[in-house]
Amino acid sequence: MSSDAAALKDADSPPDESAIERYIGHDEFDPIGTLALIMVYFLILVLMWLFMYFVEFVGNEPTVVGMV
Amino acid sequence: MSAYIDQFPAEAKVIRSAFYTSFIALALGAAFGLIQTLHRTDIVRVIPSEMYYTVLTAHGVLLVVTFTIFFLVAIFTWAVTTSLDRGVEDIRFTWSWYVLMSLGTLFAAVAILAGFTDRTEMSADVLFTFYAPLQAHPIFYIGLVLFVIGTWLAGADWFRSWWAWKQENPDERIPLPTFMVLTTMIMWYLATLGVATSIIVFLIPWSLGLIDTVNPTLTRTLFWFWGHPVVYFWLMPAYMMWYVMLPKFSGGRLFSDPLARVVFVLFLLLSTPVGIHHQYLDPGIAEGFKFIAMTNTMFLLLPSLLTAFTVVASMEHGARQRGGEGYFGWLGALPWRDPVFAGMALAGLMFAAGGFSGMINAGMNINYLVHNSLWVPGHFHLTVGTAVALTFMAVSYHFIPQVTGRRLASKQIALFQVVLWFIGMTFMSNAMHRGGLLGMPRRTAEPEYDFPFETAIGTVGELNAQIALGGVLLTLSTVLFVANMLITALNDPADDLPSNTIPEPLSGSEDAPLVLDNLKLWTAIAVVLVIFAYSLPLGSIVERGGLFGPGGDAFPMFIEFVEGTVFGLTGDSVSSLVNSPLEWLRAMR
Ligand code: HEM
Ligand SMILES: [Cu+2]
Repeated sequence: MSSDAAALKDADSPPDESAIERYIGHDEFDPIGTLALIMVYFLILVLMWLFMYFVEFVGNEPTVVGMV
Repeated sequence: MSAYIDQFPAEAKVIRSAFYTSFIALALGAAFGLIQTLHRTDIVRVIPSEMYYTVLTAHGVLLVVTFTIFFLVAIFTWAVTTSLDRGVEDIRFTWSWYVLMSLGTLFAAVAILAGFTDRTEMSADVLFTFYAPLQAHPIFYIGLVLFVIGTWLAGADWFRSWWAWKQENPDERIPLPTFMVLTTMIMWYLATLGVATSIIVFLIPWSLGLIDTVNPTLTRTLFWFWGHPVVYFWLMPAYMMWYVMLPKFSGGRLFSDPLARVVFVLFLLLSTPVGIHHQYLDPGIAEGFKFIAMTNTMFLLLPSLLTAFTVVASMEHGARQRGGEGYFGWLGALPWRDPVFAGMALAGLMFAAGGFSGMINAGMNINYLVHNSLWVPGHFHLTVGTAVALTFMAVSYHFIPQVTGRRLASKQIALFQVVLWFIGMTFMSNAMHRGGLLGMPRRTAEPEYDFPFETAIGTVGELNAQIALGGVLLTLSTVLFVANMLITALNDPADDLPSNTIPEPLSGSEDAPLVLDNLKLWTAIAVVLVIFAYSLPLGSIVERGGLFGPGGDAFPMFIEFVEGTVFGLTGDSVSSLVNSPLEWLRAMR
């Protein structure tokens, strides 16, 4: 058990501490899953932007900017 | 190892009262939400269309002013007392701001609800964006002022606690939850200057008949000066919950205290100088100023993306401690059966979708496509209506037992309730976005007119059905929530409540540069940014339209208390007082 784990123990008992199988400290933790999720989000954003272009601009008149 | 109510019984009582007030507002607001949803989709009509604005105003004000702000003063009080580990300095003072806020709410609510009866002239059908030329009865504005003063005093209460704590702990870092409260409140003080000026200097005298006219562009601009930062006022407590509580419920710890501080500082700096992005279509504001507001708005994406990273990483930490593996497999190890966790996580997921429609709103040119269409309510029911509201409901399942000492009535119903909200909102918001793209207007009882909206896929009937279905599910979800809370409040005392603690972050405050805690510095920069963003636009609005406007009638006109002329003159002379230096400046050029 690292010192981080000890800190967790005194600091708190989450509602279901029993579910915790191991303690992971700052240095051992590598948020690779977060990176994966965020990449997925960015991919969705990019696709939505492309989609927006086709839905809203192609075949439409120019919007009001610069028309008045 | 004890619950909040055991540690701070007196504070728990105020917090409880604020929670209950917010729940009443939520219940009423949802009822009005249902009425208007079914009305505008022409499915069930229980009111005449002329009453639609009264319903819409009640819905907007009760939900985004009363529900959200009463809830957040409750959690802010919890956060400050818990993280400083000391009670408030003077509980009578704490009660006094709660009473003032309640009184203000009562005044405003009476004015709004009076719109339903013909027995009185009184009404306040001004929508939650109460700017001119729509006019409310004076007690609506007076109520708002009392409410805002209440929030100022609440902020003073928390600052007072912090100062007292600092005397005793001169060398310690500001605990993270208190830091979040203080930065949010500084933003709030700055932001409310706009709306307070608008109400006290213009709208109240105008509704009393002391001045004849106001400058509508000016009151709009002052409204939005506050109207954007207020969205962060709703959001910051939700963020606080995601930063300090979600890791706990995920079984992990906050990834980084310094990152959380950076995010709150960025919000303090950037929340206010962006309000003009709500006015992209307002004539009378030069495009250059709108462009500056857009640039600032795009910068605001940064703290939101930082939040996404930090919060997801904290959840992942919890999931891995619970045995989660793989790139995506860890998601399955999260405690999805816990309503507190599930509600907050689903709220965060919807916020990610709201982030996309927000980016569309924020772009000056793309905004023209969606401005004032149903897309906009579609967007903010994802943000304030779910990211904030669902997070608040979810954490209530934790906090109400904490501040009452009673057992949660039903965890299963709670879980069902948060999922139901998510599903209902998926239907309602998605269909609203689509309807908006077809050009369906927001804020109207008769969106259909006789106009044949062309749909690319599906039909208008199908969109309306989805909006109505979503609205019904959401209302059902609200009923379950309120009932669960009510039964909890009357339930048996529990003696096995989890203790009221906040876990230490993985990377703690000792890793955060000291300058982050320099609140004076950040306040000064925030003020300078606001001056940069607003002095020229406000100056040019006053220069063109005059402080009290070019004329025009209010709608509806309220009782003229005094002969207009005398005060009309005062109005004119004040106006010329301000205008003459401007004239002079112009002459200099
Ligand atoms: C029971 C759930 C809800 C339903 C059925 C509902 C339904 C609606 C509908 C249909 C509109 C658009 C009306 C129009 O523009 O003609 C609307 C507007 C609005 N809703 Fe909701 N809503 C719900 C919950 C919420 C929540 C939780 C919030 C915020 C915390 C919220 C805040 C607002 C605001 C600010 C407006 C705009 C009012 C205005 O245009 O002045 N709503 N709602
Ligand atoms: Cu905004």
